[in-house]
Amino acid sequence: MTLFAADINTEAVIVFVIVLSITLGITYWASKRARSAVGFYAAGRQITGAQNGLAISGDYLSAASFLGIAGLIYLYGFDGFLYSIGFLVAFLTVMFLLAERMRNAGKFTIADVLAFRLRERPARTAAALGTLSVAAFYLIAQMVGAGVLIQALVGIDFTPAVILTGLFMLCYVIFGGMVATTWVQIIKAVLLMSGIIVMSLFVLGKVGWNPIELFNRAEEKATGPDNTFSLSPGTFLDTPMDTVSLGLALVLGTAGLPHILMRFFTVPNARAARGSVVWAMCIIGFFYLLTTCIGFGARAILGPEGLEAAGTGGNLAAPNLAAELGGGEGTFGGDLFLAVIAGVAFATILAVVAGLVMSASSAVAHDIWSSIIRKHHDSEHEEVWVAKIAAASIGAIAILVAVIGGAGLNVSFMVGLAFAIAASANFPALVLALTWRRFNTTGAVCGVLLGVVSAIFLIIVSPGVWPGADSDTGSPIGWTLANPGIISIPLGFLGCIVGTLLTTEKVTERSYHELFVRSETGLGAEKALTGH
Amino acid sequence: MAETQDRLQTHVDWEAIERSPEFQELVHRRRRFVIPCTIFFLSWYMGFILLTAYAQDFMGERIYQGLTVGYCLALTQFAMVLVLGLWYLRKSDREFDPLAERAIEAYADDELHPGATGRFTRERVGATPVTEVERR
Repeated sequence: MTLFAADINTEAVIVFVIVLSITLGITYWASKRARSAVGFYAAGRQITGAQNGLAISGDYLSAASFLGIAGLIYLYGFDGFLYSIGFLVAFLTVMFLLAERMRNAGKFTIADVLAFRLRERPARTAAALGTLSVAAFYLIAQMVGAGVLIQALVGIDFTPAVILTGLFMLCYVIFGGMVATTWVQIIKAVLLMSGIIVMSLFVLGKVGWNPIELFNRAEEKATGPDNTFSLSPGTFLDTPMDTVSLGLALVLGTAGLPHILMRFFTVPNARAARGSVVWAMCIIGFFYLLTTCIGFGARAILGPEGLEAAGTGGNLAAPNLAAELGGGEGTFGGDLFLAVIAGVAFATILAVVAGLVMSASSAVAHDIWSSIIRKHHDSEHEEVWVAKIAAASIGAIAILVAVIGGAGLNVSFMVGLAFAIAASANFPALVLALTWRRFNTTGAVCGVLLGVVSAIFLIIVSPGVWPGADSDTGSPIGWTLANPGIISIPLGFLGCIVGTLLTTEKVTERSYHELFVRSETGLGAEKALTGH
Repeated sequence: MAETQDRLQTHVDWEAIERSPEFQELVHRRRRFVIPCTIFFLSWYMGFILLTAYAQDFMGERIYQGLTVGYCLALTQFAMVLVLGLWYLRKSDREFDPLAERAIEAYADDELHPGATGRFTRERVGATPVTEVERR
């Protein structure tokens, strides 16, 4: 195994080193602020609404958003753009149903909200299961994606690329906690937005600043024997039911992603939480609007000749477009532009994986260790240490799985699974705990279990997982749906409702009054640290 | 046990706040805004998804050159997110926040009502009001 492949991209390595130096500098600065529990998990709750909006964008816009959606639009046209819409509209669900209530009623994890009115140990166990399942699949997907991208863009081999990404991510989380993670996410959001704006301006300049001309030129290039590109829907998702199922999982899944919900604990109050969602909507909306420029631009400029270079899923369409816009591969401008976009993609991956590790380690330390195993008899100091050890272990496992699974692991399948579990397990339990008076512990446990199990089962039997199978559908039981959302989300709600109706728990109804008043008014919400 | 019961007595009367007219008005007004908005945005979004899934010819129809009906409807989704987001911010600042403040005015002083804060603090280990009530 060699560390470097033959054609190492020097400019890209320089950009990577710059990104890493800045983020490590921030981690050093943040390390002093991340010693207490509230500092480590929630950045002292001192992040402003605008900063948190940027950090949410940085946490949310993964490499799948940047390179993946641009690639899908390049390959399939309109259908690729569907992801952008779903990922964005999802923030209305977060804003109307969860953001302020989470801030008012929670402390560090989404389990806090459930444990408030339900029996603590089963409720926390269920919530931790949901959080860890989502984080695990999302994290492994991002690590594999990181390895593949860095290998293609910089020339570092897959295995060392995964290990490097993992080590830096652990550095931010373990030494800098949520403070460092937040600032890495903010810097990444600024870099990513700058990158995509500059690229879009270049693309628009090439078509005479007329977006409609961009569509026309993209369509002219929809040629070739294997053409899948179209301005009309129906090229990527073959069955209508799949489109509906995916759409549902996207719009509800975001509201169950633990690393996004956790961000609302970092602001001082509900007003800032609300403001940060709207900031995030504006930034993320503008970003997804520009994915059109990149995707259609790649089709118009690279054409069908660029298909092979764009790789599986078209992930390299955006970097290749950057090289072309800078003057073509091999020229100084082309290599520089490619290196900058590669650096942006690298920062993107680091920020997302750091957020995921934060959410997973808080579930292990705050929910499982402190509340379930030690029954709150541990010290705050101990809890923070456990969180750091948990982060290191989770990171090591993710690196290991990504390296063993290798580049062949299907990234989009695992991201789809993460969203499906978030929408089917976490979302129903959270919404019902905050709004349904009668909701109880049995309901929460049944709902989360049914949501997790049905989502995983339906993905395992889905056709995408069985590419080599002989039957028509590819699935061993003849299942044709690629995305489980339309079945597993109703099952998650059903589990919550049936579990609740079959049992009686007087106390949860009584404590509902407290949770209800707290979540609606913010009375007694966790305070921000002062005096820093 | 005795200590916890003392604490329960100095505890905020959550049900009294819940019954207060200010709180009722807050919840009523917020619901009157949030529920229709949620129904609207979910229908507009799922309508778009259903059209994409089942009316592909319609979505692919041209409005002007390469601009399709589908793309225009997609742009309305962006507009919807922006408008609803800003509208909710405005409503909250002008209407919901002042109401919430009035509803909890009597309890907002931490010194007088220590029970309002620290639902998760370590001093109350294993003896949160919920579990106490449960045992009795």
